[in-house]
Amino acid sequence: MARIFGIDLGTTNSLIGVMEQGAPRVIADPETGEVLLPSVVAIAPNGAVHVGRRAIEMEPHLTVEKDGRVSAAGFPGGEYGAVIRSVKRYMGLGGDEIAAEDRNRYAFADLSGPVARFQIGKRTLTPPQISAKILKALKRRVERALGEVVERVVITVPAYFNDGQRQATKDAGRLARLEVVRLVNEPTAASLAYGLNRIAKGNVAVYDFGGGTFDISVLSIKEGIFEVLATNGDTHLGGDDIDNALVAWLLADVPDRIKTDRHVWNSARRAAEDAKKRLSEFGETELVVALPGHTVSKRLTRAELEAIAAPFVDQTMRRCEMALADAKLETGAVDAVVLVGGATRMPMVRRRVAQLFRREPLCSIDPEEVVALGAAVQAGVLMGTQGDMLLLDVVPLSLGIETMGGVMERIIHRNTTIPTSVTEMFTTAVDNQTHVDVHVLQGERELARDCRSLARFKLGPIELQPAGVPRIAVTFLIDANGILNVSARDERTGREHSVDVKPSYGLTDEEIERMLEEAIDLGEQDLEQRLLISARNDAEQILVALRKQLGDYPDLIDAGERGKMEEEAARLEAARMGTDRDLISKLVNQLNELTTPFAARIMNFEIGQALKKKSVDELS
Amino acid sequence: MLIQCPSCGSRQAPRLICTECGGPLAAELDCFAALGLDRKLVINPAALERSYHDLSRKIHPDRFANRPAAVRAASLSATALVTRAYRTLRDPAARGLYWLELNGHKLATDNKQVPGDLAELVFDVQEQLAALRAMAGRDAGALAQAVGARRAELQAIWDDSQRALAENFARWDSSGASDANRLTAELKAILSRIAYLRTLIRDVDRELENTKAA
Repeated sequence: MARIFGIDLGTTNSLIGVMEQGAPRVIADPETGEVLLPSVVAIAPNGAVHVGRRAIEMEPHLTVEKDGRVSAAGFPGGEYGAVIRSVKRYMGLGGDEIAAEDRNRYAFADLSGPVARFQIGKRTLTPPQISAKILKALKRRVERALGEVVERVVITVPAYFNDGQRQATKDAGRLARLEVVRLVNEPTAASLAYGLNRIAKGNVAVYDFGGGTFDISVLSIKEGIFEVLATNGDTHLGGDDIDNALVAWLLADVPDRIKTDRHVWNSARRAAEDAKKRLSEFGETELVVALPGHTVSKRLTRAELEAIAAPFVDQTMRRCEMALADAKLETGAVDAVVLVGGATRMPMVRRRVAQLFRREPLCSIDPEEVVALGAAVQAGVLMGTQGDMLLLDVVPLSLGIETMGGVMERIIHRNTTIPTSVTEMFTTAVDNQTHVDVHVLQGERELARDCRSLARFKLGPIELQPAGVPRIAVTFLIDANGILNVSARDERTGREHSVDVKPSYGLTDEEIERMLEEAIDLGEQDLEQRLLISARNDAEQILVALRKQLGDYPDLIDAGERGKMEEEAARLEAARMGTDRDLISKLVNQLNELTTPFAARIMNFEIGQALKKKSVDELS
Repeated sequence: MLIQCPSCGSRQAPRLICTECGGPLAAELDCFAALGLDRKLVINPAALERSYHDLSRKIHPDRFANRPAAVRAASLSATALVTRAYRTLRDPAARGLYWLELNGHKLATDNKQVPGDLAELVFDVQEQLAALRAMAGRDAGALAQAVGARRAELQAIWDDSQRALAENFARWDSSGASDANRLTAELKAILSRIAYLRTLIRDVDRELENTKAA
């Protein structure tokens, strides 16, 4: 059975890892050596797709020419192609949930539909489709680096992701033709990567401040069991917010008309991002943005940056306190703190975390790689190679149903260990009622309208009976991925009821099927990759066989023939490292032809030997 | 009624782990049986956690990721049952409510009725909370301190109720059957007191939190 890979599908960067010789490792791009794949997807006006660094180059920005002129570059969006960054922010959102600032940033279609859709030329693409392109890029990376086809994966998600966001992530996997064996919460994955069961016993807090999301998880670790006690977070709070605040500060004196231009804004964002990184090492830096006609240049000290970042860091601290309260722990009762996510590189964040938990946080593993490494460990757990290690995670948000008067009745409380299930009894309110409508919600607020609508379903048809007589048991089951499954049974007849659940947000099965069909013609690159791998395997096979034969039957070949073969084999050896599939196939055929007479002689020789042996056996 | 193991096909009495092959089984069991415990109300938390962890290691879906769908479904259902059972039995109040349910009694958990002996204290607290709300954080220092003191009083009553609950549990275990009616009535009273206190303490905490934030 194919190996399971672990994927960190991040807001800013994505990575893929796997277990090798009992240890997790992240897989670098074989050409560039880079481990982080920027989660940026460019779709050119002609439909060509680019992911990562190349996509960033196509993002609208300003470039300064040699003569000092400033010009605009990149796909500006709409019918001119688009470059989408931080697509994770939009996963699981409905059209009506797109914030106004995001509508300035990208062209969206269908703002009332159950799924956000980017308008790109005449096509619209949903966030799962964009995410699928990132997943495919990671898949291709593994095929190029290891010559192995990725089929089954673990994908990490923010612990605070709701049901819709989780479902959207699974959909992205399906659209990338991957079997998503498990979704794992990012902070929990990080705790696995540290192998905390070996170095710590007791309570551990994982503080995960990434590009777009913040999570805090509190775990208890005992004899290989990682039990999450509580989790909290914000799926729209991350380093991006600090960058944006920095851009606002940088462009404070620039007129709005210019400021909101995507080229200007992106150039400023790049300057802000760089400055933020530099200030993790130095006390002061200079930010420069060249605009047409003039240049904005400002000095920034670390203290000033910290003042700009403080409101966001404060929010994370409040979330930590809430998680500790839910876990029923005092801040001093935490035995270890782990840092995850790029934003934790800021000295201020480390300082504040240390103050809150009253201990120095662990950061020996690169905070940008730790989640992918943990995903690989969980993949190992699922393959059965990690011994007794087991993860018991929780559902981050309460699940309930709408009752009379629009009140949310909680049936599964937040921080309940998953998988878990609750069975509720439903009946009719009037005589001969044939259906009961159920509205499922997720959230912590008292009123249904303040919670997020998760799904609606109709129970029935119910046999005609007086009000209150029918008894239908509905089981709400949250699986190990944190995703809801609903089933219903008539208590009187014992018959299973079909439940037609209509998710309030997200893609339907039919839509995903259609997207998969549409993707076939666009999937040629995948096919090309598979063919290349199979050509490389053929090459390897023939080379190994030849080497063995040359060693085993040196007397069946003369020096001239041998020389020619070795020369041809060396050419194939070299071509095998490259990406020219046709060349590899051609050389394999040539070598095959060239070695055929040799192979025939070996065959004759072996048959002769066998006959000889047989006659000797018969004689004796 | 016998159930069939999706891994090896053998038929057996309802349980969560197949006696033939050790695979997971989808069975409907009460919370005590699910965790392999006797029907006793006094439970050692460490022992409870140990049985929960041991069972999880054997039946959790992570252990069956490569198995057929029917085995995975059984593992999911068995694990959901065990986590629910653990959650129910771990918390003494939830355990008490479940005990009543097992014995055919029902107790509303959203209890709005003030326990008689607490009426005066509750009235005081509610009045203070209303005043605190009205101040919306302005010059609320002194009042917040007074509410804080009340909070400590409530906590002490809460602790007493938990002790009473533990004693009730112990009596059930020693002489339950002979004294069931009296013990049930007492258990109901204690649980309804706890439910009431829980709501009140939560309201107090929320109001103190709001005052602090303002």
